[in-house]
Amino acid sequence: MSNVALRVDDLKKTFDPGLMKAKVEVLKGLSFEVQRGIIFGFLGPNGAGKTTTIKAIAGLIWPDAGSIEICGLPHTDEAAKRRIGFMAENPYFYPYLTGREFLEFHAELLALASDVVSSRVSQALEKVSMSDHADRLMRTYSKGMLQRMSLAQALLGEPELLILDEPMSGLDPLGRRDVRDIILGEKERGTTVFFSSHIIPDVETICDRVAIVADGRVQAVGEVRDLVAQEVEAYEVAFVGTAPSTLNTPVLAGHTGSDASWVRVAAGHRDQLIRELVDDGVRIVGLSPVRSSLEEFLMVHYQGGAS
Amino acid sequence: MRAMLAIARNTLREALRDRVLYLFLGFAVLMLVSSKIFGLLTVGDEGKVIKDLGLAGVQFFSMLIAVMMSVLLVSREVDGRTVYNILAKPVRRWQFLLGKYLGLLATVALNLTLMALVLVTMVRLYSGEWDMGLLFASAMILLEMALVTAFATLFAVLTRPMLGTVFTLAVYIIGHVAENIWLLTQQITVGVTKPIVAAIYYLLPNLERFNFKTEVVHDLSIPHAEIGVTVVYGLAYTALVLVLACVRFSHKDLT
Amino acid sequence: MRRPLAVAAVVITLLAVVVTCEVILHNAPEADPLGKRLLYLPSPDVLRLASLGNDGLVADLLYLWSIQYYSQFDFREKFLYLDTVFNLITDLDPRYFDAYRIGAMIMSVQKHGDPELHKKAIVRLYDKGIDAMPDDWEIAEWAAWDAYLVLQDTDQAVKWMGIAAERPDAPGVLKRLYGRWRDNIHGWTAEDSIAHWEDVLAEAETKSETNLATSHIYDSYVSLHRSTLDPMLQGFSQVARRCPESWQELVDEGWLASVPVDYLGNPYGVDPNTCTLVAHKKIRWD
Repeated sequence: MSNVALRVDDLKKTFDPGLMKAKVEVLKGLSFEVQRGIIFGFLGPNGAGKTTTIKAIAGLIWPDAGSIEICGLPHTDEAAKRRIGFMAENPYFYPYLTGREFLEFHAELLALASDVVSSRVSQALEKVSMSDHADRLMRTYSKGMLQRMSLAQALLGEPELLILDEPMSGLDPLGRRDVRDIILGEKERGTTVFFSSHIIPDVETICDRVAIVADGRVQAVGEVRDLVAQEVEAYEVAFVGTAPSTLNTPVLAGHTGSDASWVRVAAGHRDQLIRELVDDGVRIVGLSPVRSSLEEFLMVHYQGGAS
Repeated sequence: MRAMLAIARNTLREALRDRVLYLFLGFAVLMLVSSKIFGLLTVGDEGKVIKDLGLAGVQFFSMLIAVMMSVLLVSREVDGRTVYNILAKPVRRWQFLLGKYLGLLATVALNLTLMALVLVTMVRLYSGEWDMGLLFASAMILLEMALVTAFATLFAVLTRPMLGTVFTLAVYIIGHVAENIWLLTQQITVGVTKPIVAAIYYLLPNLERFNFKTEVVHDLSIPHAEIGVTVVYGLAYTALVLVLACVRFSHKDLT
Repeated sequence: MRRPLAVAAVVITLLAVVVTCEVILHNAPEADPLGKRLLYLPSPDVLRLASLGNDGLVADLLYLWSIQYYSQFDFREKFLYLDTVFNLITDLDPRYFDAYRIGAMIMSVQKHGDPELHKKAIVRLYDKGIDAMPDDWEIAEWAAWDAYLVLQDTDQAVKWMGIAAERPDAPGVLKRLYGRWRDNIHGWTAEDSIAHWEDVLAEAETKSETNLATSHIYDSYVSLHRSTLDPMLQGFSQVARRCPESWQELVDEGWLASVPVDYLGNPYGVDPNTCTLVAHKKIRWD
């Protein structure tokens, strides 16, 4: 069995809006791999090609070039589709079905054995905490409930690979926590989870690996802590006394306390600052690198990708 | 196969639970019942008027239901995002589309059957006879609706819901006027246009072929061969349109 | 769906089946050759309701359709339905001149069926039009000519021309035609004829109209005089066992007060062969 749950290789896609409008090249050769059993985050600004990539993986869009493999199989194979659970970005519903009927319908689409259908449906409902509301019409559900039902249908087939497009959007913090817990629970079961999100703290806390997408390509990929660790954005220099008024080095932030102060400068200005302080006879008591959060890391790459 | 039937069943369920359907049905039944009033206005055979108006009503309302429901059941789904989660599953595109079509057709068929039964009952109440010919005429109308619904499905895949509705209605009207195009070709003597118009005539769906209302209402005999060819025509054309719809849908990017 | 050749083959096959079926059905004999469905067009009231105020439009459409239908020239019996159709059209739009005119024309060219029935239907249709448009002289005139030339029913022609002549704004010629026809068929008394032509004379504007009226008055007087004078000649010839040579003889014998003169004041003559009155008609036509 292949160790790679999802492999995307040199994916290209151009959209032709037709008639007078210019063609839009959305994916310009996008590649990445997702190993089995991890939680993989997919981040990027609007227009980066995230949704297009996910739709291509799900077989909703046909790429112009490149290949997609799911558990070693071509992504359009029926066997491949059987291994994934997909959750689209916006929750949708058939207004006149109950939650249970909705899941039973999806169970039929998966061609689950009929004796297994009802137990799977109940399990899925349990996982998303919707058992109590299963027999109400979906028309009456709140957005959060619809989101959970959407997740439930993705879990029905006990998939090897979960593909989630913005699974936590529109949820309150409680709801987000629930979804996070479900995702972590799936990981524990050995399911690979691939999801895109704009909510960076969530990605930071649960993802093992992250791919940053901008301008139709993967700009950076790796473990969260490595990515962040690679870049030391700034340094904080602590010293006795107050900051000299004639400091030339541009300062990002600073704080003056009664005994000691600190200033933060960009990584590139560290040496300059130290020289200046030393020349002014300031006693340096501390020097520490500031590890950027993923957000700051992203901003760098978004800008880098756009330029 | 199982997926296709599940989609069909789900579509039918959605239609039956949607109140819009009952509005049309209500109007249809009302119209059928009030055809008796129209009958009073005529000089001569009331029964014929009831049958004529009744069959016309069955056809008209079936068409309306087919067109309206196709927007709700097919266009909305294809055009919107509700189709994503389904097609991400091991369901082929053509299975999805055919499932939708079958569900839609089942809806139309149920309504048509109901209306036909009301009509037959009304005729029985009025003239004391069970006119089974009316059921035959209704069956032929159903065949016509199968074709119209196929077109509705094709347009749902090709274009936006409102435009699709307009096109389907256009097909319906053209299909009933096709005969006159033939008369037109007889008038044209200029060389090139005549074969072109003739070709268009043969290719257009000639919905009048399914119209046996006259024969049924006036008890004329219909050769079995003619019925057979008509059925083959209807089924073949429906299949053709559905194949084209499936082909288009298979290649469509669902953005 | 990803095997283009197979799909193309299926599409072409289905297309072939479709076109073949359509060709077969198109060439199949018509189920309704006698146009029976026409008999069951709804009554005018129903159609009027259904047309939602567009009576005229529906009449137009029916008319157009009927022209199309009937111009597919063949000998199959369609006559009975003509009556229904054109009655329907004219019920919907009673002032539809063409419907009367063309309907009658189509009816008159029917080669099959009972000619008497045709005639009755045509008369009925025209009568309907004449009644429906009381201020229109054209319809009556048209009807009169159809009756005269096509139906060859002079009595009917005379009747309709008379109506036409009485209608507002009717041209004077209609009156003259009426008079002429009526005289031809001896369809009225001489007194009536004289009265009619004296009216025409009074309205005459040109020399020829005057002469025409005068001529008819003259002829009518001749016929009037003849009715009393010829028996006198017969009586005289029985008594005298010979025909009188002139009217003077009758005056001499006391049969008459004076020599009878015609309308223009010229004395009549006697035809020795038939022993009847002779009129020496002289009207200057220049």
